[in-house]
Amino acid sequence: MTVPGALQRLLAIVVFAAALPCRGEEAISGRWEGTTHIPDDDLNVIVDLAQENGAWVGSIIIPGLDVKGVPLTDITVKASAVNFSVKGTLGIQLKLQLDGSGKLTGNFEQAGNRALTTFQKTGPPQVEYPPRNTPVAKELEGEWKGDYQMFGYTRHVSIKFTNRGPEGAAAEFVIVGRRTNNLPVDLVTQEGDLLSVDSHEIGISFEGRLRDGKLSGAIRQGAIETPLVLERAK
Amino acid sequence: MNGSQIGVLLASLCAMAAANAQSMFRGDATHSGRYAGPAPRQFHRVKWKFPTGDRVMSSPVFKDNVIYFGGDDGNVYAVDPETGRQIWKRATNGPVPATPAIVDGTLYVGSYDGKFYALDARTGALKWKVATEGERRFEAKGLHGLQPKNQTIADPFDVFLSSPVVVNGSVYFGSGDGNLYALDSATGDLHWKFKTGDVVHASPAVADGVLFFGSWDSYFYAVDATTGKEKWRFHAGEDPLIHNQVGFQSSPAVVNGVVYTGCRDANLYALDAATGKEKWRFNTELSWVITSPAVADGKVFFATSDSSLYHVVDANSGKPVVRQQGKAYMFSSPAIVGDVAFIGVLNGTLEARDVKTGELLWDYQVETSKQNKGWVLTADRKFNIPFLYHSNWREAPIVANDQQIRIGGVFSSPLVVNGVVYFGSADGFLYALE
Repeated sequence: MTVPGALQRLLAIVVFAAALPCRGEEAISGRWEGTTHIPDDDLNVIVDLAQENGAWVGSIIIPGLDVKGVPLTDITVKASAVNFSVKGTLGIQLKLQLDGSGKLTGNFEQAGNRALTTFQKTGPPQVEYPPRNTPVAKELEGEWKGDYQMFGYTRHVSIKFTNRGPEGAAAEFVIVGRRTNNLPVDLVTQEGDLLSVDSHEIGISFEGRLRDGKLSGAIRQGAIETPLVLERAK
Repeated sequence: MNGSQIGVLLASLCAMAAANAQSMFRGDATHSGRYAGPAPRQFHRVKWKFPTGDRVMSSPVFKDNVIYFGGDDGNVYAVDPETGRQIWKRATNGPVPATPAIVDGTLYVGSYDGKFYALDARTGALKWKVATEGERRFEAKGLHGLQPKNQTIADPFDVFLSSPVVVNGSVYFGSGDGNLYALDSATGDLHWKFKTGDVVHASPAVADGVLFFGSWDSYFYAVDATTGKEKWRFHAGEDPLIHNQVGFQSSPAVVNGVVYTGCRDANLYALDAATGKEKWRFNTELSWVITSPAVADGKVFFATSDSSLYHVVDANSGKPVVRQQGKAYMFSSPAIVGDVAFIGVLNGTLEARDVKTGELLWDYQVETSKQNKGWVLTADRKFNIPFLYHSNWREAPIVANDQQIRIGGVFSSPLVVNGVVYFGSADGFLYALE
């Protein structure tokens, strides 16, 4: 073997090896539709996986569980192994392998239960992105307080808004009843003069408008909607 | 006969009396929920299981060596306690999630068909039946936060019918028509009926000529057992928002002049039986008390729904004595047998707990619960709530509730006879464990 010949082979191997993950990643990017076989029931699951700026993004749809376009987290793709999670109250984990026939197979895990699941690619990815926080008006920044009644006793509410530049506003949402509940806020938006603060994980939201120096609106928990007026904290 | 022989004889008579006090819901008309032993502190085997056509929410009772219970398949059953073989069954035209009462050779029970039955306990033959104004479940607009909120929804957790008590020739029971009925136990003739503001599915207790019962109208009543005249009423919590924290589904126990009752307003109440004055309340922080409390040795035993806690409190003060975290909702009323407390759990488990410490001695999980169809349960047997109740719109929560029940929930209050534990499960079987 001549030296140039060996170099050529080595170069070819390096190029081929470097191309492998790309080809694997290409194979994994897409819309995947599958079935999860839980006892006495089959769940249809649709997963969208894509690469953006070198990072994996994705979302999931489970029609039987009222899950639509929920973001995937902790996505890892190593060779043919694909793992990701769906955070929130459901707490789903998928651990999958790309097999020789182009199917993703593995386990769907939830609440300690585990079921076999198989996905087939059906097209290019259609990843959904969660709504983003918007900035709030300058006069809304700071802390607001108010009370409402539910199940016969008073709950004290405090919401504190902070604008964070391009990331939009953040809110600290605290309800004090018999306990102090710091709600995990995942969405703060202001559309026109309508302000919304949502904690999807807990299922509580506040919606209101600034009127005469007060934030007047309602707090909503499931089907229960109660008027709530917030005043600027002193 | 010497002193010790007299003592043995008295003890035997007491034990016989206690053993006989198993012929109606919670043992007898005062509903103490305390039974004579012995009780198994260890589980050995399933002695038998008796299949029916639908869930068994009724609690088994025992009289003259026969087990009786109602089935949601519409039948009333008599079963041999030794072999588990059917002695007779009698069809009604609706589910029977009530516990029969057996007195003087007659079985009394109500059915969802809106009729109240008196059957020959030996043969199941009809002696008489009486129509009420009709059965129905508790219902409200936007119940429990279900959507749409302007839709009237029947409560899927209103799972029991009122179990009758029989005292001094009268049979007493509540009805979905809002009445508490007093009938002549021999003929079915109406003595009187007492109208409340909503469904009465709790079972009345009787002590010293007074009938005690709660209604879904948020009131607890004391009524003269002979005349049907109100003696007092106690107002518990209301919930005009979603009608979740309101109503008496628990049946009272009356011991030493005190009425103990659970309530869906998340309290266990102790009321003075003579006046209705509140002695104490034990708050369970938004968790229903559906179980009918048992009272034994100066303590009150009960459990909660959502928080799934097993509680023992001091009967005089309401101060906590024992608090044990369970795995799932408890609607089943505890049975105190010797030094063991038995209680059913809605995850399809029967639990035996030490009376003093509340610690779990053993449990038995029914087969459908082990199968965990539709992942109703988490791997550690808790309810998989986000998976089940993923939507509160239209029929979704009702379907979820049905799935939850069909895991084999033990709503039935256990019965222990000669060391054998009998209970019904929503998997459709009556079980005998030893």
